[in-house]
Amino acid sequence: MRARVERHQQAAVERHQQAAAFVFLALVLLGPVATARAAEPSTPADPRAMTFPTVSFSPPKAKRMVLPNGLILYLLEDHELPLVTLSAMIRTGSLYEPADKVGLAALTGTVMRTGGTASLGGDALDDELEFVGAEMGSGIGRDAGSASLNVLKKDLARGAALFADMLIRPAFAPDKVDLAKKQAIEGIRRRNDHPASIASREFNKLLYGADHPYGRESTEATINAITRNDLVAFHRRYYHPNATMIAATGDFDRDDLVKQLIRAFGPWKPEKVTYPAVPPVRDQPAPSVNSIRRDVTQTQVRMGHLGIKQADPDYFALSLLDDILGGQAFSSRLFREVRTKAGLAYSVGSAVIPGNFDRGSFFLYAQTKAGSTAQAISAMKAELEGMVAAPVPERELEEAKQAFLNSFVFSFSSSAQIVNRQMSLEYYGLPADFLERFRANVEKVTTKDLARVARTHLHPDRLIILAVGDERAFDKPLSTFGPVRAITLDQPTAALQPAAQ
Amino acid sequence: MTAMIRRLRSAARVAIAVAIALLPSAATAGSLLEGRVIDRTLANGMRVLLVERPAVPTVSYNVTFRVGSVNERTGESGLAHLFEHMAFKGTTTIGTKDYARERPLLDEIDRLALEIQAEQDKGRAADATRLAELRTRFEALQDEARALVAPNELGIVYDRNGAAGLNASTGVDVTRYTVSLPANRLPLWVAVESDRMTRPVFREFYTERAVVQEERRMRVDNNPGGKLYEAFAAAAFTAHPYGVPTIGWASDVDHLTAPRAREFFDRHYGPANAVIAIVGDLDAEKTFQQVAAAFGAIPARPAPPPVVTLEPAQAGERRIEVEYDAQPQMLIGYHKPDINDPDDPVFDVIESLLSSGRTSRLYTSLVKTRQIAVAASASSGEPGARYPNLFTLEAVPRAPHTLDEVEAALLAEVDRLQREDVPARELDKVLNRLDAALIRSLQSNSGLASQLAYFEAVAGDWRYLLRIRDRMAAVKAEDVRRVAAAWLVKRNRTVARLVPPVVEKAAP
Repeated sequence: MRARVERHQQAAVERHQQAAAFVFLALVLLGPVATARAAEPSTPADPRAMTFPTVSFSPPKAKRMVLPNGLILYLLEDHELPLVTLSAMIRTGSLYEPADKVGLAALTGTVMRTGGTASLGGDALDDELEFVGAEMGSGIGRDAGSASLNVLKKDLARGAALFADMLIRPAFAPDKVDLAKKQAIEGIRRRNDHPASIASREFNKLLYGADHPYGRESTEATINAITRNDLVAFHRRYYHPNATMIAATGDFDRDDLVKQLIRAFGPWKPEKVTYPAVPPVRDQPAPSVNSIRRDVTQTQVRMGHLGIKQADPDYFALSLLDDILGGQAFSSRLFREVRTKAGLAYSVGSAVIPGNFDRGSFFLYAQTKAGSTAQAISAMKAELEGMVAAPVPERELEEAKQAFLNSFVFSFSSSAQIVNRQMSLEYYGLPADFLERFRANVEKVTTKDLARVARTHLHPDRLIILAVGDERAFDKPLSTFGPVRAITLDQPTAALQPAAQ
Repeated sequence: MTAMIRRLRSAARVAIAVAIALLPSAATAGSLLEGRVIDRTLANGMRVLLVERPAVPTVSYNVTFRVGSVNERTGESGLAHLFEHMAFKGTTTIGTKDYARERPLLDEIDRLALEIQAEQDKGRAADATRLAELRTRFEALQDEARALVAPNELGIVYDRNGAAGLNASTGVDVTRYTVSLPANRLPLWVAVESDRMTRPVFREFYTERAVVQEERRMRVDNNPGGKLYEAFAAAAFTAHPYGVPTIGWASDVDHLTAPRAREFFDRHYGPANAVIAIVGDLDAEKTFQQVAAAFGAIPARPAPPPVVTLEPAQAGERRIEVEYDAQPQMLIGYHKPDINDPDDPVFDVIESLLSSGRTSRLYTSLVKTRQIAVAASASSGEPGARYPNLFTLEAVPRAPHTLDEVEAALLAEVDRLQREDVPARELDKVLNRLDAALIRSLQSNSGLASQLAYFEAVAGDWRYLLRIRDRMAAVKAEDVRRVAAAWLVKRNRTVARLVPPVVEKAAP
């Protein structure tokens, strides 16, 4: 996490190409900053020569409180808009679901919202919330449960009560459990429609193992094995006030809101929660070259290996190193060499994904026409090797630092961003001043540090390479890069499934 | 309107974050916003919109040009978008190590590119030896020119200064350039943007063309939804350029040249065709002075030629299929009037009734109750809004349910709009949801800048934002029936289905 640009793969059913963007990106920015006001540059003509003081800013801080039942609150008033947002994090995750019921956590999170509560059916709940333009949601990801409510200020009292009902007393109506399972199965049927999603999923399996909680995926069989009772039990096991945090931001009076939250959540009884042991991520798998055959004109390339935890002291330097390699768009080596100079890809880059509780990942990615697949792989590998073989020039490090430090202010763009980050830092066991440390550490990084973390954490000789595409049309066979393992997808392609029209 | 907000979000591709105190119903979005928008026009016709929001020391910039793929000529589809990519290649100063040496090389490269193209276009009669020779010279010249380029310098300068959301997007109606910077970087932004509006250099043109072909492969050729949408729009519009994909037909893109991009720039990037919106921690008066000094110096240009082609009234249903190796989905589109038509807000209301939330009619019927689809939605204003456009319905069936079943269910909801009065409570819900959506959509500097510039460019007046709520509030049940009966009819629709290819034999 840092001021960084993450290029995202095309979202599933996103189609309207009418807005063709220059770079495919979504921003995840953190950071504070600001005050200095515009300094008039002496030579307004050449923007390259302009210098400005770094903007400094003292962002507001949320107030942290713990209710007697263990529920943690973060509160930050912001009166600019007549809106209030509550966000919750619950200590759970698909990490803890049984292997024969993969998909249970996600279904539980979904049906908590759709299946209604003890006092109000799912459809009635939808009706009430949508009539006043409120939004309420719930979900469970790999290593956290989450829920959120966004309401106009006037609807806060009622909204908070419904939010508490959803978290504490979900009804898991059988018809909504059934609907969620049917939708999950349709999602499985459709999961191979986009080559990018195949690549992401299968690469993850190669890294962590298809049977590990970090790598496995649901199947029709695991979904069918899940019953309503499983959802009820999963919720009962993990949703307790002492495993929950709520962050509130928006147009409220803090004391009033605390009273309302105490009324809604105070009676929720704490309970000791036990968590199944999660097998540790096993050691770096052997390097490999993997191929998935799809009749497409553009190949999805992924290459990389296991990475580090967020708490690793090398994370700061590695993060800068990644910016230089491919984490940033214009300023990165992969963008410059593979896209700008060679014209081989629209989407190309690298990512350091730090692990929250266990090892994360590091990978390079690109999408290139079938006929330049090997050329792109070679070019990407060369950039990665260069990162390890030669020191990063001082000037390049300085550019990366400036980009990071100057964009730090965008980490504090909204109150919601500030308060949610405080909550998630606590959830993941990171220090409350993590961001400030990040900034301080980035300032200290030297080219020697970069060389050391490159040697320690980047392994161009141990890459797991995956190509999803039509190997018949590749410029060179994949075997150029090592013995090739062909992966067959479980799910047949649409053309081979019984026609459903 | 809600569709537009959605579209703006995705087009700008920035997280929506903070903004302007809009109160639902009573105190209108209008009054509160109006007092805060500084609205000026420079002598050369450029529009400048400014809003002070001092909460966080950042500023969001949006430059929207009233030009999109709708302004392209036959054979040059994709030019508006490729130009947008070229706008990141720099100017006579940014992006070059020595422009005086670079320029003659670029001219020669352009000349050779045309020669190669002409030879290639002879098809079977092309002279292979000559082609190979031309290509070798072309490559050598490109290498020589590349040595003089400072690659990505424009983006690097922004990055170094802490840019967030540096991007651009091209649509059928508009082309937009966005960035957010720490609050004290106004002089930098003014210098970069006024430079690229005046002295762009199309270096690395033919390499970038290849990048755009990769973008096309990603968004369209290997994306089932993209494939379907492209074929759908092409079927729905037989004459108006809304039927041509913004990314361009692959063969057209292969024929785009730097001289064409230059003509396009001269024709469409004049100051009177531009809207600047700046929102954030700024002093409006000082900001305006700096903007006016730099951009005001750009000479006025003649108005670009208007889009004169009108789509003829559709005289019968059109149905198409796209075979693609993916699970089925479908789109239905009805022709409808442009954004400033008095009936346009009626379509916004219909869109919300059909499509907004889990209590919407399509979700309730197809997904929740009958469970024949996993997704169903509607959208008003496809693929654009400035000219008469489409009202669309789409759905993703749930196996074993078929596209036939899904289509029948979609059409049943359209019939209902014509047969039954919408209950008053449902119309109230539309307004309540609109109010909340308006507030949320204005939560960030970049979101607000985007909306102001978009409506100024497309509707001709940013105050569209102030008026849309009242226009939608005025929509009555009988308006919904009248408009549905007039427009949402079989004769006026195009139906597009994505279906799996027929396989003769099991593949190996």
